[in-house]
Amino acid sequence: MESHEWTEQRDGTVRVGISDFAQDELGDIVFVELPSEGESFERGGSFGVVESIKAVSDLYAPVSGTVVDTNEALREQPELINDEPFDGGWLVEFDPDEGLEHLLTVDEYRQQV
Amino acid sequence: MSGQHSDRVVTEPFDDQLGTPFAPHSDETVATMLAAIGVDDIEDLFDIPSSVQFDGEFGIPSSSEQAVSRKLGDVLQTNDSAVSFLGRGHYQHAVPSLVDHLSLRSEFLTSYTQYQPEVSQGFLQALFEYQSLLVELTGLAVANCSMYDAATALGEAATLSQRARSIDGSRVLVPSYVRSEYRSILDNYVSGTDLTVDIIQTTEGMVDPDALSAQMDDDVAMVYVENPTVEGVIEEHLSTVGSLTDEHGALFCLGSDTVALSLLERPADVGADVVVGDASVLGLPASHGMGLGLFACREEFLRQVPGRLVGASTDEAGARTYTLTLQTREQHIRRERATSNICTNQAWIALRSAIHAGMLGPQGLLSLAEQCHRRAESLATEIDEFDGISAPARDCHHFREFVATVDSDAGDVATALQERGYIVHALDEDRLQICVTDANDHAVNGFLDAVSEVVV
Repeated sequence: MESHEWTEQRDGTVRVGISDFAQDELGDIVFVELPSEGESFERGGSFGVVESIKAVSDLYAPVSGTVVDTNEALREQPELINDEPFDGGWLVEFDPDEGLEHLLTVDEYRQQV
Repeated sequence: MSGQHSDRVVTEPFDDQLGTPFAPHSDETVATMLAAIGVDDIEDLFDIPSSVQFDGEFGIPSSSEQAVSRKLGDVLQTNDSAVSFLGRGHYQHAVPSLVDHLSLRSEFLTSYTQYQPEVSQGFLQALFEYQSLLVELTGLAVANCSMYDAATALGEAATLSQRARSIDGSRVLVPSYVRSEYRSILDNYVSGTDLTVDIIQTTEGMVDPDALSAQMDDDVAMVYVENPTVEGVIEEHLSTVGSLTDEHGALFCLGSDTVALSLLERPADVGADVVVGDASVLGLPASHGMGLGLFACREEFLRQVPGRLVGASTDEAGARTYTLTLQTREQHIRRERATSNICTNQAWIALRSAIHAGMLGPQGLLSLAEQCHRRAESLATEIDEFDGISAPARDCHHFREFVATVDSDAGDVATALQERGYIVHALDEDRLQICVTDANDHAVNGFLDAVSEVVV
């Protein structure tokens, strides 16, 4: 599955955002629709939507799991995704049902984009 | 008119002197063009299977423009001039001539498409005013600039309930009084989705709160109720519906219209999430077909709204401007994930509706709505004086229309009334439905005389 989410393993959870490349392709992000805490998704399932001035894109779950936290700051400041895609622009945290072995490494991703 | 024509001699040669109107496809030019591209026959340019080709004669005689015009005029004269007391979703209100004068201006009538912000600020502003009117009447934060009609707006509300992340469930509940046309279109909209449609039982023409409560569970995605109902009943259990839908996380969709909303409970105050209905009660005659779909909803569903939204903005000089907004919901951008297949609207009808509402103003609208309430109730009281008919059939408040029960066959009564120049609905063998507004109020005395004659 080719998509542009990144993951970061935290204390038992997996934080998810979109890559710097993806935010740059999308352009100015104006709205993010995020799931509620407690919702579960299969790997590859659409867990939300990110809307820029020129496109609307689904957000795909990199791992199967349950949402345990969402970045509430994005409701008022969706531009955080453009400004700090790997930091303040994170999207959700999953309690994963699986490991991360199936995901690309940073180098593998860079070769693709 | 036709009688006057019959003894006058109109010579066809006079018409013929007008000659053939200019048409580019004379036999000669067609032959020249075919020769130039080396084709023998026009049919060779098309590849239409013979199975679908029409091989007969149309049987339409050729006539001059004047002869056709006379013929059509004569046919139209044969319409009877009966006064309509019909309602059930199509309502006639007097449309001031100013609505025609303004809306028929070519800047409005012939502008296609009306959505280019750089050339159509006036049209966009009118649509913004239309939306603002709906926001004011419903108390909901968002209104789109129209859908095709009330039934398609209801269908769109159902599919919105499925898209909205805050709404779970797959059952749509509609009251037993819902018109079959609405039901059929709703069924069309939900086919292909996970939604199914179930009926809510009604008592005395209103949703039965106990029956609804028993039917509610977390699998209910949307509950639809009308106010007034298609029988003219003013619903008394709206707040209960609002609480029940709230409790079970379902969407509360209320059906109404722009005149009724001026007087009846504000949808937002009874917990409605979406309001649908017919906005063409203002600005358009009762055409018994065409409508103007009203669609308003709470701000929470802004990104899920179907159709077009006009927004206000400022241009680089700081002036107030209008533009289509949030188009990322729509199919020309979002493709198969669009909120709706509708990428258009009834802009010109919405314009007429906005002009009519603007002419009436808040007080005029309220006054019109009060008349719709009072006239229906007083006509029912007057009808009830006669033997052989009782009205209203339901012990409740009414808006525009009411049901009457008759001792003799209702179909026969309706036919006898039509012979006397008045049209009403016969609902079944026992019941008539009668609608009175400012448009037919002048005929009420004659109507009452006719009723008294036919019901005994």
